[in-house]
Amino acid sequence: MSDTPQASSALESSLDGNTTVGGGTDSVSPLTAVGRAPRLRTSWRERFEITLLSGPAILVFVAFVIAPVIAAIYYGFYRWKGFGPPTDFIGLHNYKVILSDPEFHRAVLHNFEIVALSLIIQGPLAILLALLLNRKMRGRSIIRVLVFVPWVVSEVIAGTGLSLMLPVNGAINALLTKMQIFGDVHVSWLGPHMGLWTLMAILTWKYLGFAIILLMAGLQNIPEELYEAASIDGASYWQMQRRITLPLLGPTIRIWAFLSIIGALQLFDLPWIVWGEFNVDRDGVSTMATYMAHYGPRTGLYGYGNAVAVVLFVISLIVAVLYQRIVLSRDISGAVTDGKKKKR
Amino acid sequence: MSFIPMRAKRTALAAAAAGLLLSTAACGSSDNTSDNADNGDGGTSSGPVTMTLWTNSTTGAGLDFFTNAAAAYHTANPNVTIKVQSVQNEDYDGKLQTALQAGQGSAPDIMYQRGGGKMLAMVQAGQLGEVNVSSDVQSNISAGAMSIYQADGKTYGIPLSITPEGIWYSKDLFKKAGVEIPTTIDQLADAAKKLKAAGTPLAVGGKDGWPAAHWYYMFAVRDCSQDALNKAATSAKFDDDCFLQAGKDLGAFVATNPFESDAFNVAAQGSAASTAGLLANHKVAGELMGAWEPGVVGDLTPNKKPLADLGYFPFPATANGGGDPAAMMQGADGYSCSAWAPKECSDFLNFIASPDQETKYAAAFSTIPANKAAQGSVTDSATKSALEASNNAPYSVLFLDTLFGSTVGGALNTAVVNFMSGQTSDPQSIVDAVNNASDKG
Repeated sequence: MSDTPQASSALESSLDGNTTVGGGTDSVSPLTAVGRAPRLRTSWRERFEITLLSGPAILVFVAFVIAPVIAAIYYGFYRWKGFGPPTDFIGLHNYKVILSDPEFHRAVLHNFEIVALSLIIQGPLAILLALLLNRKMRGRSIIRVLVFVPWVVSEVIAGTGLSLMLPVNGAINALLTKMQIFGDVHVSWLGPHMGLWTLMAILTWKYLGFAIILLMAGLQNIPEELYEAASIDGASYWQMQRRITLPLLGPTIRIWAFLSIIGALQLFDLPWIVWGEFNVDRDGVSTMATYMAHYGPRTGLYGYGNAVAVVLFVISLIVAVLYQRIVLSRDISGAVTDGKKKKR
Repeated sequence: MSFIPMRAKRTALAAAAAGLLLSTAACGSSDNTSDNADNGDGGTSSGPVTMTLWTNSTTGAGLDFFTNAAAAYHTANPNVTIKVQSVQNEDYDGKLQTALQAGQGSAPDIMYQRGGGKMLAMVQAGQLGEVNVSSDVQSNISAGAMSIYQADGKTYGIPLSITPEGIWYSKDLFKKAGVEIPTTIDQLADAAKKLKAAGTPLAVGGKDGWPAAHWYYMFAVRDCSQDALNKAATSAKFDDDCFLQAGKDLGAFVATNPFESDAFNVAAQGSAASTAGLLANHKVAGELMGAWEPGVVGDLTPNKKPLADLGYFPFPATANGGGDPAAMMQGADGYSCSAWAPKECSDFLNFIASPDQETKYAAAFSTIPANKAAQGSVTDSATKSALEASNNAPYSVLFLDTLFGSTVGGALNTAVVNFMSGQTSDPQSIVDAVNNASDKG
């Protein structure tokens, strides 16, 4: 989903490069002919090269992204239970039901709560831990491994384990009781009051490692000379982090936030496995994706499920495009936005 | 979603392996190249025929039964080869639907079939072939069990086992808590209170949805007359007031807090922490289930042997209920032929439904064979009581979610869970969920 605007714009910009140029000779190198150099005609050979190089990617993209989206839009207009071809055309009925279903409203609300809380909780934590792990110190590699392990473990395995540990009679409460500090512990970690916070704790534990990996890669790209110059000028450690590291880490943070937002909007596996399909709504951890799975394949409403998928797609697309245009524009100007500007 | 059958959730390993598990019939024929397409509906029986069989059984005894049956059939009919393929139960409905949609070449010729509304959807899509039931088999299978596999006067499958519903309990724990077998709901609530005080409550695997929904089904069977149930079965609507009464009675029973704590975060099958596992380890005293229960519980006992003190009693009667207190709710496990299957498929179904094969089937699945001539082989005492209750029932109803199909059944199950877990307190929400199920697509 996050690829959609990028890929299509990149395609457009390369097409722009081809169609708006005129004149030129055959001796121009392909590198300058594509995209950048105006007033040059692309030769047949170059067109063939472009087709050859981008063809497989476009083919895969169309077959596995565009075609399913179109199929989902098509099925979404039908009352269809998945047996035989869809025949009962009902227009926008499915969309009317989805948009007026309070259960779906709750799911959307939960999605955006998760988006916001993920950014607020994981962002600062990840930055602090990345700074910490970037310093040379004893036991650094062990801490790194510990932080990354949850991210590597499959969601299904982590979810199954947590679903056995978190119930009232599960291991977590038993452990707290055995510690003999809190008395007899019967906390309903999965219940409606705690559900969202338990989910946020799980998500933070699970995906913090990914944020840290990204940020540490970003840290590697900050030139050492800047710190040297700053320390010669007498800057303290925290001053250096605030004036040098954070500003230069900006692009990485913004990309991480983008991935985190898209991931939160499409969250499915952890609530589905840890809470179960019948509990997510009551416990306040349902998402658009769990709603889609419950009312799509699980209850045999394939037409309705496809319509939900389209709504989920549109919401994610709007958020992604807005984020790219507003927040990411400065990082990717030239890569995505230039093509449009040229056109105007 | 529907009533989850016997060999349901085993270990994660078994589940993971299931997709890869393709065991061919042990036979000498190497002629697997013959495609079903060649044989068509009107294929001659003399040419070599290969059929695929899909079962939801992934483990030893159950899978062995089909491999052995396929081999035995091949010995008797050397031109017919049957390939047995195992699909994990929770994946089964989805995979089957996809394969049937793809039609000839992808669809299995012989398939595990739950019957009811789910089967009806396949019939209406023209994906199932009519089965010619031999008179021997026909006369030995009760009309009630057979009707699960019939639509518009035609038969689309043969049941191999029946799964009457009731409460499966630990005799030792009931004795310890000083509890007699209850025959009314009030007695059941009283028993539940004593069992809970003894630290071993009744259990419900609320996380999976359907085990909770079964409680509502049974209240509906007790509160609704046969007539009202029949009407609901054909209209898929809860028009009679008794369905609301069932919700009220369920609400009153749940208000006595009869189940284990945090019941809606407990699954029904598969692990020691599931209700079946808790019963197998004497942590809970009993649960409402179909007759697959002895097999499921037996897998989870510490020594993997059947639970020695497992007992069975039918669901108690409600006060002033309109239903017969002996009426039964049950499901069946059976097999169907796809629309593209060669005509030998019917013959093979009659073969596995024969008393001899049925005896082996019942032993492999520790269940009740549908063929009456094989029912004498049931030895387990709890299963025997369930069989007795089933035979004494004046009429019986299919599990409501299977009967209604996945859309209405799914809406019903969701509504019952929401009601029992306290998300809504109005029993009318259950009736509304069924009557409005078709709103969503």
